[in-house]
Amino acid sequence: MAQPSKPVSPSAASAAGTVRPADPTITVLAAWLMPGAGHLLVGQWRKGVIFLVVLTGMFLIGLAFGGRLFPFQLAEPLVFLAAAAEWALGLPRLLAAMIGGGRGNVVSVTYEYGNTFLIVSGLLNLLIMLDASDIARGRKGR
Amino acid sequence: MTTHLGVMILFAACVAAVFGTLLRDESSGQLRMAGRIFTALVVGAYGLGWLMYLAF
Repeated sequence: MAQPSKPVSPSAASAAGTVRPADPTITVLAAWLMPGAGHLLVGQWRKGVIFLVVLTGMFLIGLAFGGRLFPFQLAEPLVFLAAAAEWALGLPRLLAAMIGGGRGNVVSVTYEYGNTFLIVSGLLNLLIMLDASDIARGRKGR
Repeated sequence: MTTHLGVMILFAACVAAVFGTLLRDESSGQLRMAGRIFTALVVGAYGLGWLMYLAF
């Protein structure tokens, strides 16, 4: 008869090599929704917290600099790509749109810098999602 | 902080922190990698800026 497993702290379990493999799909979804959440799920707490702080910070800096949350416009390929990059940061992008942020202050001297921060934070999160996916699939060490 | 140099340093620090954390597993390696990336970004941008200033 199977015994219920005792809860094990991720760091201790990771050190002992007993972390249960996280579902890759859920890991990638979590990493998309919240930067660093994928690494938190696979037990890499320090990395997860660093990604959460830095990427959320970059996104907020982008908004504070007057950057724009681009809409999906097929007629404007570069705007479409910028929108796709920004949507790679799921929840922050959604929340910012819901509270009416990211309208883009074109006359602001930091407008382009803001766009750069917003877009690059999304692109970096894509890399982080891939890394979390590789760890969850066992292609990379925990 | 809204000077070109200030924003560039802030951007380089953020990108270096992410890549340093992503590419190495132990703390010392992460710090070293982040430092290298940060230096490369800032020195590279500064050097390119001067090159463009002199060339154009």
